Amino acid sequence: MNTAPNMITFLSRQTVTAATPMILAGVGELVGELSGVINIGIEGSMLMGCIAAYTVTGVTGHGTAGLLAAMVTGMVMAVIFAAATVWGRADQIVAGTAMDLLGVGLSGMIWMMYQNWRENLGFSTALPHGSGFSPLAIPLLRDIPFVGPAFFEQYLLCYLTICLCVGVWWMLNHTRLGLIIQALGDAPEACHAAGVRVRLGRSMCLLFAGTCAGAAGAYLSIMQTHAFAADMTGGEGFVVLALVIFGRWKLPGLVGGCLFFGLINSLQQTLQTARYTSQNSVLHALTHVPFQFFQMLPYLAAIAALAVMSRNSPGPRYINIPWPSAKT
Amino acid sequence: MMIARIFRQIWNTATALTLAALVCAVVLVLAIGAAALLGYPPLRVADLWLHGAAGSWYSLSSSCADACPLLLTGLAAGVAFRAGVLNIGAQGQFLMGALVAVALSTRMMIFHQPALVIATALTGGALAGGIWGLIAQYLERYRAVPVVLSTILLNFVALYLVAAALQGPLQAVGTAAAQSPEIAGKYWLPLFVPYTDFHIGIILAFMLSVLLWVVQERTVFGFESHVVGLNPDTAKAMKMPVAWRQFQIMFISGGCAGLGGAIQVLGQVHFMTAHMGDYGYAGIAVALLGRLNPLGIILSAVFFGFLDTGAFRVEESSLALPHDLADVIKAVVILVMLVLAGISLRRSRRAAKSERTTSAETPSA
Amino acid sequence: MATLPPALRLSEIQKSFNGVPALDGVSLEVAAGSVHGILGENGAGKTTLMNIIAGLLRPDSGSMEIMGNAAPVGSVRESRAFGIGMVHQHFKLADNQSVLDNIVLAVSKSLWSRRGRGVLQNIDYWCRELNWTLELQKPVRELGVGQQQRVEIIKALCGGGKILILDEPTAALTPAEVDELSSAVAGLANAGMTVLFISHKLQEVTRMCRVISILRRGKLVYSGGVAGLSMQQIAEKMVGAKVDVPRLVQPLGHAESRVLLELQSVDYRIGKREPPLLSQINLRVHAGEILGIAGVDGNGQSELAAVISGTVDPVAGRIMRSGAARADAPANSACIPEDRHKEALVPALPIVSNLLLRKYRHRPYVRWGFCRFGKWRTSAAALMRQYDIRSRGIDDAVCTLSGGNQQKVVLARELSDAPEWILAVNPTRGLDVGATAFVLRQLLDARARGAGIILIHGDLDELLSVSDRVAVMRGGKLLATPWPQFTRELIGRMMLAGA
Repeated sequence: MNTAPNMITFLSRQTVTAATPMILAGVGELVGELSGVINIGIEGSMLMGCIAAYTVTGVTGHGTAGLLAAMVTGMVMAVIFAAATVWGRADQIVAGTAMDLLGVGLSGMIWMMYQNWRENLGFSTALPHGSGFSPLAIPLLRDIPFVGPAFFEQYLLCYLTICLCVGVWWMLNHTRLGLIIQALGDAPEACHAAGVRVRLGRSMCLLFAGTCAGAAGAYLSIMQTHAFAADMTGGEGFVVLALVIFGRWKLPGLVGGCLFFGLINSLQQTLQTARYTSQNSVLHALTHVPFQFFQMLPYLAAIAALAVMSRNSPGPRYINIPWPSAKT
Repeated sequence: MMIARIFRQIWNTATALTLAALVCAVVLVLAIGAAALLGYPPLRVADLWLHGAAGSWYSLSSSCADACPLLLTGLAAGVAFRAGVLNIGAQGQFLMGALVAVALSTRMMIFHQPALVIATALTGGALAGGIWGLIAQYLERYRAVPVVLSTILLNFVALYLVAAALQGPLQAVGTAAAQSPEIAGKYWLPLFVPYTDFHIGIILAFMLSVLLWVVQERTVFGFESHVVGLNPDTAKAMKMPVAWRQFQIMFISGGCAGLGGAIQVLGQVHFMTAHMGDYGYAGIAVALLGRLNPLGIILSAVFFGFLDTGAFRVEESSLALPHDLADVIKAVVILVMLVLAGISLRRSRRAAKSERTTSAETPSA
Repeated sequence: MATLPPALRLSEIQKSFNGVPALDGVSLEVAAGSVHGILGENGAGKTTLMNIIAGLLRPDSGSMEIMGNAAPVGSVRESRAFGIGMVHQHFKLADNQSVLDNIVLAVSKSLWSRRGRGVLQNIDYWCRELNWTLELQKPVRELGVGQQQRVEIIKALCGGGKILILDEPTAALTPAEVDELSSAVAGLANAGMTVLFISHKLQEVTRMCRVISILRRGKLVYSGGVAGLSMQQIAEKMVGAKVDVPRLVQPLGHAESRVLLELQSVDYRIGKREPPLLSQINLRVHAGEILGIAGVDGNGQSELAAVISGTVDPVAGRIMRSGAARADAPANSACIPEDRHKEALVPALPIVSNLLLRKYRHRPYVRWGFCRFGKWRTSAAALMRQYDIRSRGIDDAVCTLSGGNQQKVVLARELSDAPEWILAVNPTRGLDVGATAFVLRQLLDARARGAGIILIHGDLDELLSVSDRVAVMRGGKLLATPWPQFTRELIGRMMLAGA
């Protein structure tokens, strides 16, 4: 196991696995921010996606139903957020914090009630056997050395995410829809003059973002872990926000950033276990470092990335400015 | 003239308070209605809730003791938002304050003098919170990192830092969990009503918010920080020290949150784990409900204190209604208040920019 | 000639904002194939009316007919389907996107296709018709104002193609560009287009249009031919009561009096590799004179203002301000910035706070760090009387005031303490005639008192009427004009030459 090629294969696969939910949520957030709405609360939407996917899968026994439920839940969260910010002109930062609080509170509440309910009925709260997703290997391609397992032995949603990325990238750069979305956040008055309904457009972008965040939540609970725990997203939604800036509001940059953080994440997990088993003296020396410092690593890296990259990347100009803006 | 002005001020405050109270009442009724839909007996929930929050001297005191950290994190958010500093990191600052207070009262007791230890622990906690906040402000000023994001990310850094400390140098003897030893009884904040939770930290927080109100409304510092929050460009053109004020405000804001953490460990829980409650995030709701006014924040903190304490009692009862319902209520209150009261944290600089481009649509004169 | 239906007929259009009527029962007919001028003061409702025609605003009541067919109101798409295209005064372009993308964004109907062949052909057709060339792949932000306007016009033509609305099209153009525009407009009218030309400048309208309509305070006061009306008559219809524009009677030559402000070889640029925004600026302001600085927007005026007021530091050169040696404390100076919302006012705060923004921290308005609100209020109340600021009281937020009154708040604060020198940038932008006269009179009063004034102003006529000397900004350089032969034509040529 500890031979270098194996290690690389393992790490690269882990990296993609860990990066997928961030990419998924990040693509949605990117589209939302390009249209001029920053949603600090995708963390909450992801959590709601987690709990929705988990409970629905648990009850129905079908992972697909859980995934759909998560996406719908993400949409509902987006509807609330859009109603408050796009139509109600609320401050996006504070409303986003409220969405986070809402997601944390509501998912915790549903989780407790779900546990009580299942226990009263005499069922286990674990997922029924085989109802969650397991990795789907693509024959032949998975045998490519190093990168094969990383990209071709993944969960269904990971493949879908790759397709989504390509699709969104194409949409943003090669369609009029992409032009409209970018103009919504950069020059909404140009959209207005072109007959595009600004608030409707922004709401649609937010709906898309919510759906993505919900799906990312489902990935965490019914694919990656097959479990639910309170606050299981552990701040990933916030890291995604930093990564959108890090990628300078461009999709390739965002995906690159997510993969980098997937790498950091899987590295820190690997290091945490490897330092006890490895013969390597450097790794072994890490035994004395409390494991919390490894957990801290992604957040520190995110702050460092922002500190390096935020200069000269202004982003969409109309973020957190409601439309129409002139009425006093 | 003078009387008319005072009357108008009172009237404005009264309408704001009525609005806030109305929002709370509606949200509460909706929450209990939702509980009813889920099969919980609504009257019994309401009854348990009320009794749990204010049914006896003891429950009253624990509501107030719970309101105390909320008041301080609410002040942290309110002071910062009013000056346009979007500090969402009260949670991390709260944790850092609590950590330093625990360290100063369990490991480094100065001369073992209760008064001295308590004073250093509270000051140390406030300083720790303030410095933790300054990191974010430094990053914004010199590295262009948005305060919103850095404070959120620093919350997680603080969380793991605290966990590391509680499993390392501050860990209690004989436990594997991330937990500090209990603070010796003589270093607890004294109670002003015996056998309750009324500790002097509550009075301290109350006095602090009155003081902050005076600073905000009556001093040059408060006026300048308000102008900086509303329109930093004008502030700069008027030769106000914009960046310096923002640093000061961030320090005060973080200090409030840190003091909240210190008071919480010294006065209420007396030992520390990494899970100290979401007081930092709830502080934002408290500040908004109090409309960023320190005196309003007192009222809204008390309200949320009652809400939380009651919710825990309902959860402990045979009904087992999850207390997270209180968080949901807070979130809904924030959203409703944001839309209804139109509290604007938007920098008018941006608003002005967009106003120019769309001014063609409204009559200009 | 058979009577064609009018290209556009509006009946009883009514619109109010927050209860304030902006248009009050406007009925209007525009003949097909004509260039129709719409005249009116700032705030008369011209732009509101045009936005309604273009479908950007929905009127409270009233109806619209295009080519004899009833057209629905309040929808950009519908208006465009009826052939209406509008060029806004503030261009509605996405700066970061290319010219072609901007046109596709506005014109195309498909959500997906971004390279519509039809669009390209359309652009090509109109460019040939007008004899223009557009660099389609260039980002809009890299174009000059004149080019951007062409993009807007082509965009409007591609979208509609029958009725073209030009809202204050000459505001940001040089005299030569204005000429080019007017020949383009004439060409379009010959080709059968109907053009609505909005302006508050009389000369342009009377030159380009044979039919005009005049709006005053939301009402249509005149609609008919230009022939037979004198300038004076038109002006009176626009303004109502006669208002004198203040004018300097006796311009000074090279003043011999004290130099209050001097710039020596000042350079300014943002990045090291960027081209300089200001280069080798030399200027002197003497006591008791108004130095006017003309120029097309974006030739370094904002940068010059920032350097003079001390908000940014020059890269090279020296600035000497009288009295104050340090750049950060010119207490004896005043600044009336271009954008009052952004740099001079805090719109959300009451009038009293805004009036005290300069002196709140000095005695007697402060004691031991506490604000003495009583003193604030007496001072503010006096200023409000003196400068005739109209509001319900000093506790009203500034954003509830009209534009003219907001500017008066700025003037009251900046000019009341007899500053030695004054920097004013476009101080009358967006104000009506009365308020404009008030602002110019205040500047002239300050001059009479012995203050030195730098007036950076986009409105050439106003600038020439109050300045002792005039200099022209072009491409970041300051060009002196011979005194006293600075005429409109000469300055127009200098603004443009080589650009």
